[in-house]
Amino acid sequence: MADRPAGLPDEAQEVSSVGFNNYIGPFYRLPDVDGGAVRRLAFVVAEKHMNAAGTIHGGMLMSFVDMAMGQTARAETGATGGSTVSLNSDFVGPGRLHDVIEARVRVSRRARTMIFLSAELFAGDRLILVATGLWKVIGAP
Amino acid sequence: MSGPPPLPGFVPTHLVDPFEIYVGPVFENGATGAKTYVMRADCRHMNRRGVMHGGMFMTLADLTLGQAVWDATDKAAVVTLNMQTHFLKPAVEGDIIQVVPELVRRTRALVFMRGDFTVDGEIVFTASTIWKILGHT
Repeated sequence: MADRPAGLPDEAQEVSSVGFNNYIGPFYRLPDVDGGAVRRLAFVVAEKHMNAAGTIHGGMLMSFVDMAMGQTARAETGATGGSTVSLNSDFVGPGRLHDVIEARVRVSRRARTMIFLSAELFAGDRLILVATGLWKVIGAP
Repeated sequence: MSGPPPLPGFVPTHLVDPFEIYVGPVFENGATGAKTYVMRADCRHMNRRGVMHGGMFMTLADLTLGQAVWDATDKAAVVTLNMQTHFLKPAVEGDIIQVVPELVRRTRALVFMRGDFTVDGEIVFTASTIWKILGHT
């Protein structure tokens, strides 16, 4: 495993070992806050994540928030798998090269096979994306 | 990663964003304002369950609908304000994903663009997007 990039806390654990997440990552899990009500994940912006205008590509931000919300859906339900059914993203502000982008994910409602989530992405204390989404989970106990 | 166009008559879409170049290529066919775009899902785009990552679908939507917004605005500087997506069916490695972006409405400051993304003629993913034309109020 590569060294943890600058800007991430010691508790950060890499979670992107395979596939597309590994290709566009690495992504990290940070400790929960608010008594476990908010799950946090993070990545550090590299050249490959950018658009020609010098900000983070929207596709990269949606890929990251999809990963963070999907991880949360599985963790919250104990499911072995899950898939995105819908995702709505508002692009509130730009992110820049070398920013640490942090996702804060909350559960809105959990049913037996479906889970509703919301997420905010921050660059420091600056909000850059707001998302809501619906996941279907499989293999939940 | 490059390769030949997945369908005859298609040419590579000219990409300038580092992230799009990194996850591409994407190919196009047709006249300005009425283009068809395709990509071939390859091993880089898969998730741990062996189907295409939702992030790649949304990146493809941002890329192709963004190209269509450029065509509709004579290459104005634009940013994505919002994207609403539905994931109807998984795509797997080797699938050829196709979209014909649809201009829904253009105002002075905003462009509404949507797309149905198909594999073998079946819709697998939809995206509705809103774009801001920079410098127009």
